[in-house]
Amino acid sequence: MRELSLFLGCVAPNRYPGIEVAAKKVFSTLGVDLADLDGASCCPAPGVFRSLDKLTWLTLASRNITLSEKKSDDILTICNGCFSTLKDANDMLKEDPALKKDVNSKLAEIGHEFRGTQDVRHVVEYLYQEIGVDKVREAVTKPLHLRVAVHYGCHLIHPLKDSKLGLAGKPTFFDELVEATGATSVDYEDKMSCCGAGGGARTAILDATLKIANKKLEHMTEAGADCIVDACPFCHLQFDAGQAEINQKFAKNYNLPVLHYTQLLGLAMGFSPEELGIAMNTVDTSRFIEKVKMDTSGNEVCTIV
Amino acid sequence: MSSNIERCYQCGQCTAACPMAEQEQAYKIRRFLQMEKLGLKSEEPMDIPFIFYCTTCYKCQDNCPQGVKIVDGLLSIREAAVRDGNILPAHRKIGQMLMDSGHAVPGNEDGKKRRLQLGLDEMPPTVASSEKQLNDIKILLNLSGFDQIVAEEKA
Ligand code: SF4
Ligand code: SF4
Repeated sequence: MRELSLFLGCVAPNRYPGIEVAAKKVFSTLGVDLADLDGASCCPAPGVFRSLDKLTWLTLASRNITLSEKKSDDILTICNGCFSTLKDANDMLKEDPALKKDVNSKLAEIGHEFRGTQDVRHVVEYLYQEIGVDKVREAVTKPLHLRVAVHYGCHLIHPLKDSKLGLAGKPTFFDELVEATGATSVDYEDKMSCCGAGGGARTAILDATLKIANKKLEHMTEAGADCIVDACPFCHLQFDAGQAEINQKFAKNYNLPVLHYTQLLGLAMGFSPEELGIAMNTVDTSRFIEKVKMDTSGNEVCTIV
Repeated sequence: MSSNIERCYQCGQCTAACPMAEQEQAYKIRRFLQMEKLGLKSEEPMDIPFIFYCTTCYKCQDNCPQGVKIVDGLLSIREAAVRDGNILPAHRKIGQMLMDSGHAVPGNEDGKKRRLQLGLDEMPPTVASSEKQLNDIKILLNLSGFDQIVAEEKA
């Protein structure tokens, strides 16, 4: 069995632990063991901490990476922000010996050393490039008949700009993975836009960030989506907890359940919405869960007949 | 590491694409870059707190005909402002959370309850479960002077 170090970050384990569970279940079904990265901290967040003090950001990020170097696994992130921080930091330190030396002199104080032997991966990009859409589709036992509004999120796309993922045009890798579950990825206006939360903006100026999220929610609703699927717990929080704030502050009545991709894939692999923590969202997911249950039990009847 | 904002010729395509500019009139990324280029300090009251509103979405950068690394540029502008003591109270608070717990978003009662319901340990297997690791984080934060950056202003 292949093994990766699972980097949890902050928002998933402390607010949406269903994502942590879903990631482990889905990867184990696909033959990849996700080992805990004991003692990991905040990545630290790429916008806010990087702009408070770049060297602090780099030092803490490199400590997180060294935790996996000790076990010689690559790191798997389940969050766009963590991906951006750890991948950028990893690349910077690998490319700049002087910087590496500087950071290592700090890490030496706690008995760590950045060697630069590991890669940093993101769950969606890893599934697409290492497992492949076909293998993901083969692992689906309960195809989902859902209309999904895919939200890529800025910090998934940006660190991948130099990759082979065809990002010069309109990316489709995330949509392909969503459709491998049987769902339809709906097109909507401003699909590649920001959720509004990043860079420390959500804490600095909540209402403006909610207005940015509101625009996306409006377009997703217009497109007739049953749910939003993201790959980042912070976008997740902005769309879920933020949706309740938007409903209250701007007198809206959105009711769009928000799922992390690992939760969507978990459903399609036959795990229950409860064990994937989907009912723990702020926005009521009971109607969505009912729909999924009727839908997937219908599939079973069909296969029996 | 250094940004390349000297390449900017002030066309304004960045501001035109910026989602924050659409919501906040005072948020003008092109202006911040120009002030930085001209060496005008962004601590002028009108640019604080606005420089901290960027969501780091990179839309501006994707839209820039000059390949300016706008986000890196803005992050350095912010870093300089923070060094001058112009940190937003909200950001200071997150910084203190990082100092205290190793997490920008630490566990809370709801989160712990959810973890237990899902069959997970109450605390995640992160720095939240290890005094020793948290201590390591604190050593590193103190070494780089982060404790000073997020310390409360002295009256
Ligand atoms: S788009 Fe680029 S060149 Fe034009 S104003 Fe913005 S940073 Fe300058
Ligand atoms: S990265 Fe910041 S300045 Fe650039 S478009 Fe996004 S919010 Fe605006």
